[in-house]
Amino acid sequence: MSLIETLLLLAVAAFLAGLGGSYLGIGGGVFLIPFMTLALQINIKVAIGTGLIGVIATSSGAASVYVRDHLTNLRLAMFLEVATTLGAIAGALIGLRVPEFYLYIAFGVVVLCAAGTMARAHETAKDRAYVSGEESPLSKRLGLSSVYFDREDQGVYRYRVERPVAGFGVSAAAGLFSGLLGVGGGFIKVPAMNILMRVPMKAAVATSNFMIGVTAAASAFIYYSQGLVDPALAAMVIIGVFSGTSLGTRLLEKAKASSVRFAFAVCLAALGIAMIARLAFPGVTI
Amino acid sequence: MEDRNRLIYHVLRGGVIVCVAILLFGFILAVLTAEPIPDQTIPPRALGGELFRFTTAGYLSLGVLVLIFTPVGRVFLSLISFIGERDRTYVVMTAIVFTNLIVSLFLLA
Repeated sequence: MSLIETLLLLAVAAFLAGLGGSYLGIGGGVFLIPFMTLALQINIKVAIGTGLIGVIATSSGAASVYVRDHLTNLRLAMFLEVATTLGAIAGALIGLRVPEFYLYIAFGVVVLCAAGTMARAHETAKDRAYVSGEESPLSKRLGLSSVYFDREDQGVYRYRVERPVAGFGVSAAAGLFSGLLGVGGGFIKVPAMNILMRVPMKAAVATSNFMIGVTAAASAFIYYSQGLVDPALAAMVIIGVFSGTSLGTRLLEKAKASSVRFAFAVCLAALGIAMIARLAFPGVTI
Repeated sequence: MEDRNRLIYHVLRGGVIVCVAILLFGFILAVLTAEPIPDQTIPPRALGGELFRFTTAGYLSLGVLVLIFTPVGRVFLSLISFIGERDRTYVVMTAIVFTNLIVSLFLLA
């Protein structure tokens, strides 16, 4: 495959990753990295470095739109980022010692559980409606609960953020995986917010997109300084992803929350299966 | 709140747009100078010289670095914003996140 072919194919794949990433609240690394290693025969470490760049591009491209359109919960993002950045540092430090095998098992199991839970639940306007009763004292003190505008039905929804401590813990785990595997962590963050903390799906997607750029930035710089980022590949990924987010953000804002949730659950399940399959066939890189 | 959201929008979006512009410039240089497409980024220390000499590698590397720093810039902006709002809890949280970022930048680099 010639260089031009590789670059063009990568740009198309990046467009799809940016599209899917901005729609689902993930970075797209989990799509791009296997594509680069399997279809384009790119070295796995360079693929991870380049994938992280793609995650940042998805994050910056999508999050900018969501923040402007009042979907993102800025305070919740900042609160959880304390956890993810700490987790990412720990992950980077520990990562050298834990055998990858255990990481993939843990990742696969968590992901499959999240997929199952998300596929079963239905998010309706009733779910999203403000639930009366006592707000968690920590949520209240931190002002986490918020409001978002849903273009699906032109409604403004107030929502409460519940179980902030549990959410914080899961985010730390997401950061840990990010530092260890080089992914953005959106696959864990969105379910943590939507299922655990009862944040409406679109607000969860928007907030996740906002957060993953930060998590990826530190790892990306480490890969860059190790000379593991290919500038031409990275350039194609950035350009492709950014175009993809322009479309993806528009789709998300108009979509039904239940459609987004279902799409997310399907992708999660596919990812979980791929993770476990990788263990059965160690020769294939994912 | 509206102003803050708009500003973050512009910083994030602007960061990517500036990055893409620099990348496109790098590719144009490759076409004009008929250089081979580089496969290694330039380390930050050596970047100045490369930019001065208008190499493709230099400008592509710069574009990538600009992108990596947009989330850092966004966190910094949030910090200023929370300071302005005098929200001590969130100033502390944002400062922790920002410090974590800087620490991890230097930890293994």
